[in-house]
Amino acid sequence: MSTEALRPTLAQRLRLMDGRGRAAWVLVLCLAYFAALVATAAMMSESGLTTDFLHKKLAPCLEFPFGTDWLGRDMLVRTVKGLTRSLGIGLLAASVSSVVSAVLGTLSATLGRKTDAVVTTLIDLVMATPHLVLLILVSFACGGGATGVIIAVAVSHWTRLARIIRAEILQLKQAEFVMVSRKLGRSPWWIARKHMLPHIMPQFTIGLILLFPHAILHAAGLTFLGFGLSPHNPSIGILLSESMRHISTGYWWLAILPGLSLLVTVKLFDVLGNSLRVITDPKTSQE
Amino acid sequence: MHAISLRFCMGKAGRLALILSLVSVLAFTLVSLSPVDPVSAYIGIDRMQISAEQEQRIIDRWGLDRPAPERFFIWAGSVLRGDLGQSMIFNEPVTTVIGKRFVTSLWLMASAWLLSGVLGFVLGVVAGTRRNSLTDRIIRIYSYTLASTPSFWMGLVLLAVFSVALGWTPICCATPPGVSPDDATLWQRLHHLILPAATLSVIGVAQIALHTREKTIDAMNSEYALFAFAQGESRTGVAWRHAVRNVALPAVTLQFASLGELFGGSVLAEQVFSYPGLGKATVEAGIRGDVPLLLGITLFSAVFVFSGNFIADILYGVLDPRIRIGAEEAK
Amino acid sequence: MRVFNPLSCKGLSFIFAVCLLFLCLMGGSPAMAKDTLTLAVKGEPDEGYDPTLGWGRYGSPLFQSTLLRRDENLNIVNDLATARSLSKDGLVWDVTIREDAKFSDGTGLTAEDVAYTFNTAAKSGGKVDLVNLDKAEATGKYTVRLTLKKRDTTFINRLISLGIVPKAAHGPGYARKPVGSGPYMMVEWNEGQQMIAQANPHYYGDKPYFKKLVFLFTDEDTSFAAAKAGKVDVVVVPQALAVQTVPGMVLHPVKSVDNRGLMLPCVPDEGKVTDKGAPIGNTVTADLAVRKAINVAIDRDMLVKGVLEGFGTPAYGPCDGLPWDNAEANKFKDADPDAARKLLADAGWKDTDGDGIVEKDGVKAEFTVIYPADRQIRQYLALAVADMLKPVGIHAVVEGKRSWDEIKHLMHSCVIVFGWGAHDPIEIYQLYSSHHAGQGWNDPGYYKNAKVDEYMDAAISAESYEASLPLWKKSQWDGTTGSNTRGDAPWAWMVNLDHTYFVSEHLDVGVSQVEPHGHGWPITANIQKWTWKD
Repeated sequence: MSTEALRPTLAQRLRLMDGRGRAAWVLVLCLAYFAALVATAAMMSESGLTTDFLHKKLAPCLEFPFGTDWLGRDMLVRTVKGLTRSLGIGLLAASVSSVVSAVLGTLSATLGRKTDAVVTTLIDLVMATPHLVLLILVSFACGGGATGVIIAVAVSHWTRLARIIRAEILQLKQAEFVMVSRKLGRSPWWIARKHMLPHIMPQFTIGLILLFPHAILHAAGLTFLGFGLSPHNPSIGILLSESMRHISTGYWWLAILPGLSLLVTVKLFDVLGNSLRVITDPKTSQE
Repeated sequence: MHAISLRFCMGKAGRLALILSLVSVLAFTLVSLSPVDPVSAYIGIDRMQISAEQEQRIIDRWGLDRPAPERFFIWAGSVLRGDLGQSMIFNEPVTTVIGKRFVTSLWLMASAWLLSGVLGFVLGVVAGTRRNSLTDRIIRIYSYTLASTPSFWMGLVLLAVFSVALGWTPICCATPPGVSPDDATLWQRLHHLILPAATLSVIGVAQIALHTREKTIDAMNSEYALFAFAQGESRTGVAWRHAVRNVALPAVTLQFASLGELFGGSVLAEQVFSYPGLGKATVEAGIRGDVPLLLGITLFSAVFVFSGNFIADILYGVLDPRIRIGAEEAK
Repeated sequence: MRVFNPLSCKGLSFIFAVCLLFLCLMGGSPAMAKDTLTLAVKGEPDEGYDPTLGWGRYGSPLFQSTLLRRDENLNIVNDLATARSLSKDGLVWDVTIREDAKFSDGTGLTAEDVAYTFNTAAKSGGKVDLVNLDKAEATGKYTVRLTLKKRDTTFINRLISLGIVPKAAHGPGYARKPVGSGPYMMVEWNEGQQMIAQANPHYYGDKPYFKKLVFLFTDEDTSFAAAKAGKVDVVVVPQALAVQTVPGMVLHPVKSVDNRGLMLPCVPDEGKVTDKGAPIGNTVTADLAVRKAINVAIDRDMLVKGVLEGFGTPAYGPCDGLPWDNAEANKFKDADPDAARKLLADAGWKDTDGDGIVEKDGVKAEFTVIYPADRQIRQYLALAVADMLKPVGIHAVVEGKRSWDEIKHLMHSCVIVFGWGAHDPIEIYQLYSSHHAGQGWNDPGYYKNAKVDEYMDAAISAESYEASLPLWKKSQWDGTTGSNTRGDAPWAWMVNLDHTYFVSEHLDVGVSQVEPHGHGWPITANIQKWTWKD
């Protein structure tokens, strides 16, 4: 990355001082965390998930860093597995949602006023009811289950990104270099590929990543409310809603630790998205 | 107040009508898609008790044996007459359930709304006046972290600390056990409100704080602020005397515009604290398949969100002279 | 600064005010006058409080009174009735009722009301087992005659469980506004939240000590939390919570005949559905070897210790310890995965693809275990049993359902965690008789054994209750066949529960009877004897 001829200090060499370099490091660390999480979940044996009445209701200790629950299941295993499941559901939903927003945003900006009006009304419609009410409605329509949660989150989260993409394309259409290209007789497809896509892609990617925290939180919330997954397959929402039963009896670790790990994970996605923004944003390139 | 012209209101009313009808179509389509059989969805557990004639009467009344589009028009027709049907899990007309539950929720939402507004605003102004100071950093980290915090988990933590460990606050419900809502004293109600309201306000605080911070920074860099500095006023003085005035209305506007999130948040908060409000009713309706109630709540929440945005729009017009002047010129 | 100062003063005073308010609130809730008792003992009936629709079918309906009742020792004693007689042929019951009984609205209770109640309940069908009742008629103002179609040794239990409703005030709205002759009358019922009852001024029996009862219908956890906060006087807790301590309360474990078992559908899935569209049959559990293997693999002692914290006993049948229990024959060696594996292997179940689950004829030994999502103990039992079945090669998927409607839809094709237990042998009939298979909650797994049916029919129409007992026992195991695990194993019974209550240390609840399955409020059976001591 760096081409300096002078011997830089360690910090300079690692580019810790400038905004972009730091962002890149943060990015790598976040990715490492997610990789570690997924790898751990894959490697952990199922044995921590089976009931073990000899080791039940243990507070966090060396052997069980997250403690054990009422049936002696290892909360660390449950949390890690649950977290990956929640992440998976959130990511899937967010991805579907972003595809929807890309398609609708593009259509709305390119196909003329009528389409635009339809898409804008659709956006208004989705925004007309509180997210959670829509989520509940959709998962009710799907008869609950994981699919219900994914569809519900997917159909309720695309509006914001669709608006961004729509605005971006509308702006680009008026941009000078696009006008010039058009005058030069470039095909619309060429313009879309060479001019539009490079501008939209970073916006889209960042939008997608910033969608993850919302999607994950809403998926967890919906599961927490009791729509969706079976308690046999731990997800963070399930763990937290189960812990609600035990919180009054003083088994705090059942709620605190899984929730904290969800918070950290969601926060990291936020950091990831923002770092990516710093790196791709031309304004910060000199910082 | 010229912004609130007749035409503006008419336009908004039309918009509301359009949104409401679209929401009804959407909601009705969704519930018709669900695997629950419409007859049991309307009659539910009562099906075992009521006579065959009564059941038939209900089927005829709501056209439950007809295809979905036809059912929709029957339902929409009675909604227009103000009849949202009968909630099967509460055994009362949907309008009564929503009315009662909303009053309970209103306590919660209003206090959370105020709390998050005031707290977020103060934090935002403080952070904005001391940009890049330690205070600012702390407030920013705090706000960004709050934004990633699952509010229901926050509720659980508060519950574990204040209700279980310290025993300061009640663990559930809107009133003490055995006291019916009508007999509860103001103290009792507030006592039961503290934690749910604190949980619910968590969502709003971050947003308002960050927004206000940006606006305060802008205001502090504005010419009139510079002028005031030149006259020897302190930063704090400028902030509270000049900036606040300009920052407050946008914050209030934003608060109104986020009523939807407040409503959504109340669903989760009420679930954590078993607070018998509209949010809890929504979850119950969804889980136990109370279709009339679910539809009613959806419509109601749409009106609620719309009112928030409407007020925000008006405030925005009052606030921004360009819009006001534009509206006057348009006349 | 001039502007800032007043503002911060305001801010400070605001904070101060909030703190003050906080302090006021912490000062504690107002002491309750002790003529009111707050109970969180669950048992809110979905259907309301109409005995003719099944309210109080396990006895002690609270708002209503019954002709007879069981005392602490389960002996049958008179309540509304002052005398009763059964004709020689066992077909006609003549009951004389007391003349001073009044409903809570002040009207007198007469034989007309009794006759009306029995006739109405018989017509409503389904829940109340009055199929053998031909007719009930008032023979005098205070005498009533109940005529049976055929002899029924269990019929006396209807006189114990059926609360009498007033003919004049009984109608569609009755279930939500009951009027009866019981010790208490309803004041207010907020469904899903609480119900307030006050002493019935017209009650003929001992005046209860407490003028007002508040029943909280919060869920298990909230109830427990309320108890910890000192807000309730009696709370029923899941056995798993009974090891906790609650300040100011003492644990009051009550023996019960309440049990938990896994219902195993006995017919294969052939694509059939009920008239309500519910699928029938489960090919895996329809195999006798699988049902037996499940029974043998379960470690019941471990369930009692682990899930119930010792507040219960292993269950080997639906009526452990009751006079009609064939105890010797019902016992078997469980917690024996080797024996279970052998049973499966002998029947042709083998793990051919190495995934740890056995197959036979291309069908994996897999099924779903359903439990009501709001019952902790049932969930724990289901999860624990699923883990006990895994090493045997049976894969049980555990799923919680929110409503009994959903469970009703699935109960003919999935394994369900049910609870039963009554002081009445008719329950065995409801569980195992193929005559009513699939109707209401009766024999949801379509279990059918002609010999078992024969014994049970004979038991019901036996000459006397005593003569019916050996027949009930034979229906469970006659040496060659029967409805227990040795026989067809249509259920896998897991545990019998002790009901665990926390009761305020000031409250004397007397001697509680051995409780039936927890519908309604069995602990209130002797509520007239409860007192408060400071």
